[in-house]
Amino acid sequence: MSITGSVPGTDKRGIRELGGEEKVGWDEVTQGVAINSFIGETENAAFLKPEERSYSDFNSYTATVASWRIIKPVYNRDICIDCQNCWVWCPDTSIISRDKQMLGIDYDHCKGCGVCVEVCPTNPKSLLMFNEAADNDEELAGWPEKQKKEKK
Amino acid sequence: MAITSIKNLKEFSTNNDRFEGAHLLCPGCAHSMIVRELMNCTDDNLVISSNTGCLEVSTAVYPYTSWDTSWIHIGFENAATAVTGAEAMYKARKRKGTLKDPDAPVKFVAFGGDGSTYDIGFQWLSGAMERGHDFTYICLDNENYANTGGQRSSATPVGATTSTAQAGTHSYGKKEKKKDIVSIMAAHGSPYVAQLAPNKWKIMAKGFQKALETEGPCFINTVSACTTEWKFDPKDTIHITDLATDSLMFPIYEIIDGHELNILYRPKNVLKVEDYLGAQGRYRHLFKPENKHVIEQIQKDIDKNWELLQRREEVRI
Amino acid sequence: MAKEFDLNEVEVWDGNYAASQALRQAQIDVVAAYPITPSTPIVEGYGSYVANGYIDGEFVMVESEHAAMSGCIGAAAAGGRVATATSSQGFALMAEVLYQASGMRLPIVLTVVNRALASPLNVRGDHSDMYLGRDSGWIQIDAFNAQEAYDLALCAFKIGENQSVRLPVMMHQDGFTTSHKAQNVYPLKDDVAYKFVGDYVPVDEMLDFTRPVTHGAQTEEDWHYEHKAKQHKALMDSRSVIDEVFAEFKKLTGREYKRVETYMMEDAEVALVLLGSSVESAVLAAKQLREEEGIKVGVVAPRCFRPFPYDLIREALDVPSLKAVCCMDKSAPGGAMGALFNEVSAAAYTTSSRPMITNYIYGLGGRDFAIDEAKRIMKEQKAHVDAGHITTNIQQFSGLRGPKLGFYETRRS
Repeated sequence: MSITGSVPGTDKRGIRELGGEEKVGWDEVTQGVAINSFIGETENAAFLKPEERSYSDFNSYTATVASWRIIKPVYNRDICIDCQNCWVWCPDTSIISRDKQMLGIDYDHCKGCGVCVEVCPTNPKSLLMFNEAADNDEELAGWPEKQKKEKK
Repeated sequence: MAITSIKNLKEFSTNNDRFEGAHLLCPGCAHSMIVRELMNCTDDNLVISSNTGCLEVSTAVYPYTSWDTSWIHIGFENAATAVTGAEAMYKARKRKGTLKDPDAPVKFVAFGGDGSTYDIGFQWLSGAMERGHDFTYICLDNENYANTGGQRSSATPVGATTSTAQAGTHSYGKKEKKKDIVSIMAAHGSPYVAQLAPNKWKIMAKGFQKALETEGPCFINTVSACTTEWKFDPKDTIHITDLATDSLMFPIYEIIDGHELNILYRPKNVLKVEDYLGAQGRYRHLFKPENKHVIEQIQKDIDKNWELLQRREEVRI
Repeated sequence: MAKEFDLNEVEVWDGNYAASQALRQAQIDVVAAYPITPSTPIVEGYGSYVANGYIDGEFVMVESEHAAMSGCIGAAAAGGRVATATSSQGFALMAEVLYQASGMRLPIVLTVVNRALASPLNVRGDHSDMYLGRDSGWIQIDAFNAQEAYDLALCAFKIGENQSVRLPVMMHQDGFTTSHKAQNVYPLKDDVAYKFVGDYVPVDEMLDFTRPVTHGAQTEEDWHYEHKAKQHKALMDSRSVIDEVFAEFKKLTGREYKRVETYMMEDAEVALVLLGSSVESAVLAAKQLREEEGIKVGVVAPRCFRPFPYDLIREALDVPSLKAVCCMDKSAPGGAMGALFNEVSAAAYTTSSRPMITNYIYGLGGRDFAIDEAKRIMKEQKAHVDAGHITTNIQQFSGLRGPKLGFYETRRS
């Protein structure tokens, strides 16, 4: 998974399967079912990148839904034009963009819907769907060529 | 208000999401596209409420929350009341000087699905709109009770099959027309009402920002394509939404101060409604010969509505 | 800044106005309300304070009682003092969100002016709405007259907002008999009352943007049970806080309240257990009967309906002389014994006296409960004692026209 190795995130991202958290007793559950998104006091998250945030264990950022996926998007940096279509339409906050650049996919939170591939405007596409078990490097090595437009 | 730049998508993408992954919405769900965009339209603090529905049951299941802002859910019907209660508390505490940071900018937003907006929460929404609180209500309109497995709501369009308005040998699906929620909300005298769609991200972002900036109760109906109940491939959510806006099944427009109507998107090539209907499993039965009249009627209704919207826009009153 | 309200040492207030004055003095941040008979004057009273500069907070007139409580919950989660008022059908309409308020541990104060529930529609006072709230997870405190409606409303904020409690509180008074009956009320000065209630201390507030918080999360089988147990413990443990607040109030005013009020129980042979404005009638009847016929009658009145004071009821009934107890429920029992009968029987089971216990349904829809009828019931208890067994049906109906109605007999002597 070398392509995603550089994708930023905190060491807490996707560390637990949903339902895999410790089941504490009645004396330890939070009062009034309240859930704090972060540990302690924090700045407005709008001004913090994920890697700058102090996510609490209650934040779903710390959970993973990777097991939902049967197909996955693979990202090809060499073709991408950083249009951010995939970022704006990703329903799972799983396109990692920093400073107007698309950096890769958050495989902890991506469910493999394939919307990013559909909205990718490059030719060939900079994102393609593959079987979850596929090797990203191999798929990148065999990335399709530019396709000629079909004449109408 | 701290508006974020929507000049182009690259600028917009520099926003730091406050809606986290590992929520439980279906792959390809438009709800989260819309919610993310709303939250990225402003840097202000947000107090958000949600009615019971797909969004709510997918984003705050103990011990997890997907919200990086204040958020509350009470019941199926009362997100508008919950958030306006919070807004009243904000006003009171600001006046009394008991807020931790009285200068922190904040916006109040309520989300509801079409079931909670058009049906069960209609009275609560109407009351909150009438009282004039400063908040924005966003309806995530997927035209059915998707959270409970796809029953008809009063937002379900004519001809769609749902589990409680089924297509069968004696039925072509829902017979009643979709409630015109946008006009009803405009009739409350709301300063800003709109119908928007996530495929037109920039128009939607502008509309969201306008609603957030406008003082008073604003309402936005957003089309939220439902891969599970409309029955299309999850990857096609934006494509289906394109068909919805370009067939004028979902015209994109705003109404200011209850009367000034502006059409915000005019498709270059208006598609026939068959193109939209044919792309979804919920309308498949309409393509049987005996149901042809339904499609014709839907097209007629769309044409009539588009004509009406254009005329309302023309009169400029 | 709100104006100070000029109050006399003694005012002539009805229960509604007394409650609304207490709300004003507590300097509530948000009142979200909807009018309903007989509690409407509480909301109207508050409206007049708003209109005349006595209130700094927000007054939100919503479109239904459900919205009133919904607005209160949203406001309370935003970190301030919140209260409202209702009765009867309005209470029933609120029912869904009552559970949300307690589950979310929001210390809202709801002044309930007790009234019957339809059908048939009825505006008069009985305890059907109060009983409807008994599993909602709220603290329920009952005032028997206008002075108490004032005093206990002030206490309600202090109890519910206590950091170890953090639960919503219903402050009950009887429709019309208390809410509309003008009586002498000794109010506190505004600053004294507010000082007693104290400043509101927010917990997990939505307007502290440095700590974003999610309220109203879903829990399924993995988590729901633990949350409900924790909530129940807070409710059960609130007993000691209620006692402390009552003690503090006594220190301030000399007026004493207990979770269970007892009258002449020291040597009682028979006792009536009942709630609300009828308590005063029962006490008067007991006194008269003691004088007139020498029957040693006592009265036990749970001031606190939830958490139910099993401890103090047991203590009150653990009198060696006590032989028969009649529990009087002012609510249509819906196919069971009245709630007081059930709760009190459970509490009495472990007393050494183990009195005979019967149940009367009475006063439904505002049917008068007179001194003579109280005496008749007391004498009937004495007859059980003399016979050595219960001589009537266990459940009977007081003040009902038509053939005598009763259910269940007992062979226990």
